[in-house]
Amino acid sequence: MHTSGQPPKYITIVARKGRTEAYVTYESSTWSETAKTIIDEMIKAINGMAADNAAKAANPQINSSTVKRSLYEGSTQYKSWRYSPEQLEQVRTSLNAAAVAVIRDTFEADELGSSEDVLFLNANEEQLLVKLYITKIPQLCGHFRFPEEVEATAISYLKRFYLKNTVMDWHPKNVMLTALFLATKTTNNPISLESYTSNIPKTSSSDVLDLEFLVSQSLNFEFAVSHAHRALWGIWLDLQSLPDVSEDLRPQDVYDIAIKHVRASRFTDAELIYTPSQIALASLALVSPVLAERWADSKAAQPLSATLDPTLGSIKYIITQMGHPPDVEAVREVDRRLKLCKNPEKVPGSKAYLARQTAEQRRAEEKRNKKAEDVRRAVTESGNPFGSELNEDEKAKQLAELDDDDD
Amino acid sequence: MSNRANVGGWLKGKTVRKSGIISNVHTARSSTPQVQSTSSTLFSGGVKDASGRTTEYFSMDDQCPVCKSDRYLNPKLRLLVSSCYHKMCESCIDRLFTLGPAPCPICQKVLRKLAFTPQTFEDLSSKEFNKRREDFFDLHSYNDYLEEVEDITFNLINDVDIPQTEARILAHRKENSALIELNLQREEQYAQALKEQEELERQEKEQRALELRREQEIEREERETAQREIIDRLETSTKSAAKVIAKSRAEAMKRSSARSTTTTVLRSNAQLLRARAAQSTVVPDPPHVPLQDDWYAYEDLYTIRDQYDDMYSDAVRKDREGIMRAGGYQVEEAWDRALRCAVAGLDLAPLSGLNPSPGRTDSAVAFA
Repeated sequence: MHTSGQPPKYITIVARKGRTEAYVTYESSTWSETAKTIIDEMIKAINGMAADNAAKAANPQINSSTVKRSLYEGSTQYKSWRYSPEQLEQVRTSLNAAAVAVIRDTFEADELGSSEDVLFLNANEEQLLVKLYITKIPQLCGHFRFPEEVEATAISYLKRFYLKNTVMDWHPKNVMLTALFLATKTTNNPISLESYTSNIPKTSSSDVLDLEFLVSQSLNFEFAVSHAHRALWGIWLDLQSLPDVSEDLRPQDVYDIAIKHVRASRFTDAELIYTPSQIALASLALVSPVLAERWADSKAAQPLSATLDPTLGSIKYIITQMGHPPDVEAVREVDRRLKLCKNPEKVPGSKAYLARQTAEQRRAEEKRNKKAEDVRRAVTESGNPFGSELNEDEKAKQLAELDDDDD
Repeated sequence: MSNRANVGGWLKGKTVRKSGIISNVHTARSSTPQVQSTSSTLFSGGVKDASGRTTEYFSMDDQCPVCKSDRYLNPKLRLLVSSCYHKMCESCIDRLFTLGPAPCPICQKVLRKLAFTPQTFEDLSSKEFNKRREDFFDLHSYNDYLEEVEDITFNLINDVDIPQTEARILAHRKENSALIELNLQREEQYAQALKEQEELERQEKEQRALELRREQEIEREERETAQREIIDRLETSTKSAAKVIAKSRAEAMKRSSARSTTTTVLRSNAQLLRARAAQSTVVPDPPHVPLQDDWYAYEDLYTIRDQYDDMYSDAVRKDREGIMRAGGYQVEEAWDRALRCAVAGLDLAPLSGLNPSPGRTDSAVAFA
């Protein structure tokens, strides 16, 4: 309110709705003309602000920086490919049981009672076979001089594939080739299919490509994998930032041995249970516990090594106990038995395979016939597919319209 | 007719039906529905063709911007629009373009007589839809408003939903009458300010020319006096002639350089004024951020250094020609990625049990 004789220069209007307030200050000279507009705009603004506040109250995650999710928790590796050891066991046994049931049925359908003396593979034997082919991937990568990224990714793909499929359906020999070829593409190290297959004996391009979609599908098309070797590199670089780690405390051969442990961890299930950084730290701890502890402690306010110790301990155990190629003789025995218990529907030339093929062909034929019939009916019922001929009246009318446009 | 009364001054027009061929066609196609009576609608101004579409717009307020004659002086006034979208009356066109191509009196673009077409709609934006960016709280609502204006214009031109569109315009006018008035005033003020500025600049230019002339005058006088001085000194002094000449030349130089600095100050002042005027019309528009995510990228767990003792990137860093970095490879980014990978999920406890609760770390720890 003004008390002097002069009119006030500015007018401030306050609008209030609940706890939300809006202020507008206006020059008094323009007041009379714009009063209504201002009030209208303010009502609009305060409604908008109140709605915003309500939304914020309902969903506090918006705009609050405290409950940010970390990047690793956004990765598919965390969302779809992280298991507990018990879960892994359960997934594999149930998968094996389901596969055995299906294959037994196929045998029975083919010839009654033929499945009785077949000794099917169990989950551990399947796992053994997969592990052998995992150890083949580094050899192939060495031959092709692929970077470590490709090798690690291909191994991850192979492991993940056999969490969704059984060895008795798809032999790991072919799946391994496909997984490696897929990994070269997804890690941006592409190689032509000819040079790939011509360098691997007894392999045709169809061996690689036939399974490619199946593998991609089994991976849920989640191709991005983060690896322990990169984490180890990061730790090695970050050690240089620690003030209490001198040059002679971290000789190059510590890293070289640690990376060997990381490579050994790829033969195990470690990457399906633990994060890459944990595996890398455990590999380092196997070589130099002092370095690993100092680095881990530098990463948290309270000593991290205490909470991490059980995790690192179990990774170390897994690496040292299982991080080696399987006994070839045992695998050979498994492979011999696999020849007998393979899913006959997947073996070219077998009775079940032929039966399945004819069934598929019949289905495709039916589909084609139905489509042709549909098209034929559509044509005969509606007459000319391009519409009926124009009659004379309409023609004249349209010509007149054209004339009209010219004027 | 009641609508007519509401119309106000700016849209009084009449409907004239074209005769001749069009009307013949019209009778031939009488089966098609048409907008028969447009006299009661708001936008009745102008000549309409058989389909009710306005082929030529005119109103009682028409005035030729070139010769300033209006419908009161010349009832047969017909305004045509040039290819540069400037209106002028037929007599002006005859006057200016009968002898061949000539420049447009408004924008100087070379025009031909045949390139003039009838006006089909009135310029709405200048009178009614004159809201500005400052009248809106954010860019979004301003864009909505522009979209609406476009819609209305389109509807009017193509005769879509005329009654509805008119209702929209009326509603807009009712709602915003004060603002429209204000903006009209603002525009006038702006035009006035522009005019004043132009006047100011013109005066300044004159002033400068005057000053320049005066300076030249002074300079000439100075040169003359200097020469006279030199001669005087040569007559009176005992020093060597070359020295005396050099000394007086240096003095002359000093004077002229002092003058030139004052003129540059004047010019820069004018530039400053112009820049400030340009600035006042700029509407602040902050840059658009396409992605706003809330991921925590472990920034607090590591700091990347400028240099590392790193065997993997040795070759890249030593590569002076930058051949290995040709694809935009930056070793710092590779380091950053490795460091992030080294700390990512470091404190994530492994799952345990057959049905571990999905999601966050702490719950997994509690389960263990």
